[in-house]
This record gives sequence, C-alpha cells and structure tokens, in this order.
Amino acid sequence: MAELKPDQAARRSPLYRRHQALNAQFEMVGDALLVSRYGDTSMEPRLAISLGLADLSTLPRTGFKGAGAPKWAASQSVQLPEQPNTAVTQPDGSLIAKLSHQELLIVSDVEAKSSLVTRLNQHKLPAATYSLPRADSHSWLAVTGLLAAEMFSKICGVDLRTHKFAQGQIAQTSVAKINAVIVRHDLGTTPCFYIFSDITSTEFLWDCLLDAMEEHQGVTIGVAAIRSLAAGE
Amino acid sequence: MKLLTCPLNGQRNISEFTYGGEYHPMPDPHSTDARQWAEYVFFHDNAAGLVTEWWCHTASSFWFLAERNTISDQIIRTFEASEIFNQRIDFAENPQ
Repeated sequence: MAELKPDQAARRSPLYRRHQALNAQFEMVGDALLVSRYGDTSMEPRLAISLGLADLSTLPRTGFKGAGAPKWAASQSVQLPEQPNTAVTQPDGSLIAKLSHQELLIVSDVEAKSSLVTRLNQHKLPAATYSLPRADSHSWLAVTGLLAAEMFSKICGVDLRTHKFAQGQIAQTSVAKINAVIVRHDLGTTPCFYIFSDITSTEFLWDCLLDAMEEHQGVTIGVAAIRSLAAGE
Repeated sequence: MKLLTCPLNGQRNISEFTYGGEYHPMPDPHSTDARQWAEYVFFHDNAAGLVTEWWCHTASSFWFLAERNTISDQIIRTFEASEIFNQRIDFAENPQ
C-alpha cells in the first residue's frame, strides 16, 4: 500500500512538518489524515500510559454561541452539560463542552465515526444562534498518561491532578502563555486531556509541551496508541 | 502572583486577565448631549477608593465586573455583567 502523505488529504495539520521530521506514518480516520504512529516503534501504547502527546487537529469540531444557542441545542437530541466548564460524552463518542452559559464546543470522537458535527453544521440556525467554526481556528492536541498533570504543573496555573480535576471538567486557562481550553476526557483508565488552542500558535505549543514532557520521558503518540488506550489494552 | 476570581472560571493568576476600564452607567443615548456622551465614552474618574471596573478573562474572552479599592488594591467582589445588563438597549431612534 502506498504511503500516505499530509498533502494528499483535504486538510493537513499545522504540525505536519513536525510529524514528518519524526518519521510519522499516517492513516485516514474518516476524512481526516492523522498520525498513526511515529517511526516503527510498537512501544507507543505502553509509553502513552505514562505520558504521551498526540495531534488530533484534523478531526471534525465545531461550536455554537448566542442567547438562542442553549434552547436550540436542547432541541437537537443531544445530552447537554448542565454547568459551564463541563463536558458530556455522547452515546456516539463525540463530546459536547459547555464553555459558558451561551457557548458550546462540539468535537468528534477520535475514530471520526460520529456524524454529530456534520449534522449540526448543516442546520439552519434560529435567531440569536451563531455558528462558531472551530476546525480552522483551534488546534486539537491530546496529552495522555499518569504523569500528565505533573507535567502540566510546569506550564499551567490550574491544578489538573485527577483528584482535583474530574473527568468531564474544563479549564479555560493559559498553557505555556497560550490561551487554551483543557478538557479532561479519559481514555479507558488512562487520564487524557484535550487541549484546544489558537491554531496559529500550534507549533509553539507543541514544542513547549514536548520540552515540558522531556524530564518525564514523554513521547509523541499516534492515533493507534490512543485507540489502544481507549480500548483499555 | 496576584489572583483574581472570574465569575465563570474561578480563581486564576492575574496574568490571565485584561483590564477594561472603569464602569459607569450609560446615559440615555436619546436624550444625552454630545458633552455628556463624550465624557461617558472617553473620560475616567480615576477615583481613589471603591470603583467598579471591567475585566476580561482572556483565555475565555469572558467580560465581567469587579469592585476594587484602588487605594488598597483589594478586590471586594467580582460579578457577571448580566447582573447590570439584563435588558436589551436599542440605539436607533426608531428601532425596527
């Protein structure tokens, strides 16, 4: 089978040069081209339990905002978080995050099987409800592992230790001086934190995270390792 | 580092916030004169003592209000803008 390259897909991650420099192997997940694994290591899933960093920026995501957004979202047959700064996983694996009383962020599952983002994007929106596309404005990274919170303590002021920052909790804060939305979304029993931040600063944030991860022997991981963690393997 | 409590996001480092100027009640745009309007838009009291100010939590772009003592730099309380801005204001002379 021919080797996939980032410029063959409709969308490429702002980090594709970093991935190529690390000998990444790519795979198609739905319509998204993601890093499958780096190099030929089979150790990634095991290392990811300790500390891993993945780029999910090519997966679907969107958002909605406005005084009419909560009422409209409630009519869309989805499970909505009750409180701002919390997120709820949907039965199809996608995630709805409530960023304020009137703002929602919706992200796909990592297998891109959910059609929720596409479905909601196709809706004609009622008055005072505004589309807030996130795919081109925000990058999407995932930090996995038992040492993730300790690593974050060097670059983020919010206490993300798992007994302080519960599954589904959100922190809108500063990570390495970059504004970011952090969502705790565990993979199986492994802690996992999604980071959504300004897409133009992605390479800087990626480098800062790798630098902070170095003392904990953190590694870059592909979607194969994420899949393995989610399955609890 | 100083700490400030955002009504939406909780207590955070002051470096996550941006100061947005003093809050003053807006004069009625239909009856105010140019002088009053200019004072409202451009002039600040710069008072020593208890003031109400706009602050923004930049990580979430959330604007809110804070009561602060400018002498002691003590934050008395922070609250959502919806506590004051709870009805729509139409600026047009004859809103459609």
